[in-house]
Amino acid sequence: MGHDPNEPLELTVDKFTFRFPKDLFYSEAGLWIRREGCIFRLGLSDFAQQRNGDIAFANLMPPGTVLEVDDEIASIETVKVNISLASPVKGKILEVNSRLHKSPEWINQDPYGRGWMAVVEPEDLNRPLKGVLDAQSYLDLARRQAEAELKS
Amino acid sequence: MTQKKVWIVPCSGIGKSYGSVARESAFIVTEDLRPERTGIIALSRLVPDDSDVRADIKSSKSITIDGCKLACAAKVATETGGTVAHALQVLDVYRAHRELKPAGIAKLNEGGKKLAAVLAEKVAALVDSMEEKHDA
Repeated sequence: MGHDPNEPLELTVDKFTFRFPKDLFYSEAGLWIRREGCIFRLGLSDFAQQRNGDIAFANLMPPGTVLEVDDEIASIETVKVNISLASPVKGKILEVNSRLHKSPEWINQDPYGRGWMAVVEPEDLNRPLKGVLDAQSYLDLARRQAEAELKS
Repeated sequence: MTQKKVWIVPCSGIGKSYGSVARESAFIVTEDLRPERTGIIALSRLVPDDSDVRADIKSSKSITIDGCKLACAAKVATETGGTVAHALQVLDVYRAHRELKPAGIAKLNEGGKKLAAVLAEKVAALVDSMEEKHDA
């Protein structure tokens, strides 16, 4: 039996297992980015949602917002921390997952599915995204961060 | 006719504000709001197969108050034979009262204390709504 090439990469640290779909890119801050034709869909990675804990509130910038790279695209309040999430994409927000206002726990329950956060139309689809990582590189980063937290 | 006690089973997690809110609210209910109708069961006594406590939890319905989505209180109460009438989450109550952000663990901040009081009122109302009675 060979490995399913579509299965996500997995990282287990202590009692936690994190999933990293291979078809996504990731910002170091923990956003995942999926290219869907001419747009990008973004959400919070499994590693980021588990690391930061249960989400109490998710505040998303509204559709129509024009973003520069590193502008805040969303902020979340978890039981542990408040986090501002920076956009890795320059462009305009086309759509947000408005159901997260009532059900922010979807980000915890299904971070790569119904917990998606925003759809962005990039200003230049061919411009490389700043500072994003592929699944393996993000897994390596996550491993370093998780192991450092365990030691601290 | 006497009313059975409703068991309040709060989170026993140590080191998290939301767990502290769960426990504080359980104390408010059982000591101040509904002392005659409620009692606390500690998770730490359910886990090691304490037969007296397991008999208690089977004897009447319970309300669990969990501090996080792992929901240990609801799971353990159910798995040890209890009937969970209501499974509450501190986080859900906080979402309805964002101004009451809990902080602190051994000593909750004012937000945490007020959130515990709000949660306790909610639990007391649920206790009142449970009409389970049995012959004395």
